[in-house]
Amino acid sequence: MTQHAATAEAFRTIRPRVRRPRHPLVRFYRRNERMVLSAAGVVLFFAAWQLGSMAGVIDPYFFSSPTAIVAAGAREVQVPRFWNDVKISALELGVGSFAAVIVAVPLGIAIGWYRRISYTFDPWMNFFNALPRVALVPLVVLWAGLGPEMKAVIVFLGGFFSIILPTVEGVRTVERSLLDVSRSFRARERLIFTSLVIPGTLPFIASGMRVAVGRVLAGVIIAEFYAQTSGIGVMVARSAATQQPDRMLFGVLIFTLLGLLLTEVVGSGERYLQRWRPSIDLEEAA
Amino acid sequence: MILGRIARVNERVFYGVLGFVGLALVWETTANLGLYRKSLLSTPSAIWKAAVTDFGSGTIWPHITTSLEEFAIGFFVSLVVAIPLGLAIGWFRRVDYSTSALLAALNATPNVALIPLIVLIAGIGLESKVIVVFLSAFFAVMVTTSAGVQSIARRHLEITRSFGGSQWLAFRTVALPSTLPFILSGIRIGAGRALVGVVSAEFLSANKGLGFYIGLTGSFLDTSRVMLGIVLFGVFGVVLGELLRVIERRFEIWRPDIRS
Amino acid sequence: MTGHLALSARGVQMEYRDRGTGKRLLAIESVDLDVPDGAFVSLLGPSGCGKSTFLKIVNGLLLATAGEIKLHRVAKGREDAMVFQDASLFPWYSVLDNVAYGLVCAGVPRKEARVRAAPYIDLVGLQGFADKYPYQLSGGMQQRANLARALAVDAAILLMDEPFAALDAQTREVMQAELLRIWNTARKTVLFVTHQIDEAVYLSDRVVVMAARPGRVVADITIDLPRPRALAVKRTPEFAAYEEQIWRLIQHDRAPSAGEPTP
Repeated sequence: MTQHAATAEAFRTIRPRVRRPRHPLVRFYRRNERMVLSAAGVVLFFAAWQLGSMAGVIDPYFFSSPTAIVAAGAREVQVPRFWNDVKISALELGVGSFAAVIVAVPLGIAIGWYRRISYTFDPWMNFFNALPRVALVPLVVLWAGLGPEMKAVIVFLGGFFSIILPTVEGVRTVERSLLDVSRSFRARERLIFTSLVIPGTLPFIASGMRVAVGRVLAGVIIAEFYAQTSGIGVMVARSAATQQPDRMLFGVLIFTLLGLLLTEVVGSGERYLQRWRPSIDLEEAA
Repeated sequence: MILGRIARVNERVFYGVLGFVGLALVWETTANLGLYRKSLLSTPSAIWKAAVTDFGSGTIWPHITTSLEEFAIGFFVSLVVAIPLGLAIGWFRRVDYSTSALLAALNATPNVALIPLIVLIAGIGLESKVIVVFLSAFFAVMVTTSAGVQSIARRHLEITRSFGGSQWLAFRTVALPSTLPFILSGIRIGAGRALVGVVSAEFLSANKGLGFYIGLTGSFLDTSRVMLGIVLFGVFGVVLGELLRVIERRFEIWRPDIRS
Repeated sequence: MTGHLALSARGVQMEYRDRGTGKRLLAIESVDLDVPDGAFVSLLGPSGCGKSTFLKIVNGLLLATAGEIKLHRVAKGREDAMVFQDASLFPWYSVLDNVAYGLVCAGVPRKEARVRAAPYIDLVGLQGFADKYPYQLSGGMQQRANLARALAVDAAILLMDEPFAALDAQTREVMQAELLRIWNTARKTVLFVTHQIDEAVYLSDRVVVMAARPGRVVADITIDLPRPRALAVKRTPEFAAYEEQIWRLIQHDRAPSAGEPTP
């Protein structure tokens, strides 16, 4: 080994990395950091809430406490009226969402296919998409009454516009990028459609559905707040009016869990379809 | 023909305007022809008349200013909270992990569901609406900000490290400029959500504001005024959206290269 | 030339362990390298031979798993500065601010950094472009700015990681000649990583040939072509001889295929 040509102090030495053996707990933490920390965050949050409520730091009258909410929930699930509410809300949600999907997807593909027609409808679709549905509720009530039909319509509207906009966008994107290739091979229109447009648009449709989850749930609540007959949303509103925050928050919890579940289902479907797409779309992330 | 030339220059705008004007015309004529009851949907002319009346008498102004005030305060506060939080979540892995579950749950909860609770706590005045606006805008701004930090080109951070710069310097000189386009996008999306929030909250429980105006006139079956409220909302939304888009486009060039 | 070593590496090793399978991968098996002050040395080899990894270890972006590197200490500032391959200028900074960035990282106040950086913009041939933004520059010009940034910190050793790889062939040749011109003026020690044989032979005093799997040095060839070197030297028989010699070395070290005799 050759000696260095100058004295030691004239040099800066870059040393290698030292790998110390780690305690198994530390190794477990390092490998599952996300899970450990998010669980810790949740636990801390509920603990702080519970303790704050018991100590009076957080007013239990307004904010309730985790244990109270669970207790209220336990009481609710034993009451048949609760399950009737669940059934009604589920029905409104299901029918409205289903209708939104089967109308928005084909319509969106059709509109997106003809570029000029899509340009014509663009401002209106964007306008209605951005509109708060509360504003439309009085009108919808005028047309459809106060029953479950009206609520399904409100749910439908939220889902419909969330899905049709990205679908149109998806078809237009496919058209721009891929169709030149197939047209240069003189492929027949129907073949283009099935082999290019539909698969190319699926990721857009999936991301539209993810956005739709939040909007259809909100639709159920908005409609039920306005026309208080039955449903979980009604339960929430009535509990607030009768000053039962624990029961009210239990109702909110149901929507939260439903929202998380549906988002996860649609999200994994979307991830599956987006395997080959590299870009990030901010509108979806938000 | 001039129209033909305009059509070719910017197809999108041309057909968009065409659609807009066309629908308005169809709307007006079908109503006047008695194809359906006017009270169901009103007509452009009736809406215009209502506008002239209410703007002239000044009855609509307090509602507009109230809504704007609630929007402005709530939105500003949400930016002050959401942007730093988004930056922290994007920059510090541990902050991201520890808050991810809670924020996911909060995001999954429709804001409308929380309105009764908020009103219970804060009453039906300004404060409750500000809280709703805050909640509506918060998520969009925070998520886009953190996504922006996480999509910083790794190469750019490497450069700071390569030249011996501190993490703090990297944050100031690389993270912030790189994230700015994303923050601006988030502000635009959040503003839209905030507008929806303020109207929804006012509709459900308030005594002033555009949402309240819509609700009140709706209960009197005054379709024209309901539509007027909707139109005004639409106008605000479009103006605000375009303004923000212009600012956003100015900084497009700062977005990190997807290649890196 | 002061006659001492700018860089001295002994037994440098880089080992990766696959988290999933637990298999160990040697990116660099063991590298010994001495670089005299003021020399232009190339690290040449196929992808995966560890040349860029070695450079990053010198720069401090990566930590080796074994071995030591000694860098001759300078009076002020850093010993080394890196020139990256591409996408290395900040789009939100002007050329001047980009070139000054290395100094800012070293703690120099921005105003002073700008003043110190300005002459380097002229040196690399970007006169008048100080206020322009990266999107207004061509690929070659961006690399000049890249180079200026590394020169501005006045480090003893310039580390260059395939800086011309993203450029088209003509621009690349121009940049090679430009680099020699600038190097003649600035007289730094250069450690240059590339996978192009002609580039290494044209630019360097020594070509260190590396092989992959595991990454190691297989030869250290002194290039005895006179300086200053014009691009025309690439068409001389001496140049071709060096290229041939190196090419054989690289072929020799590949895994022999069925028909070839085992060396």
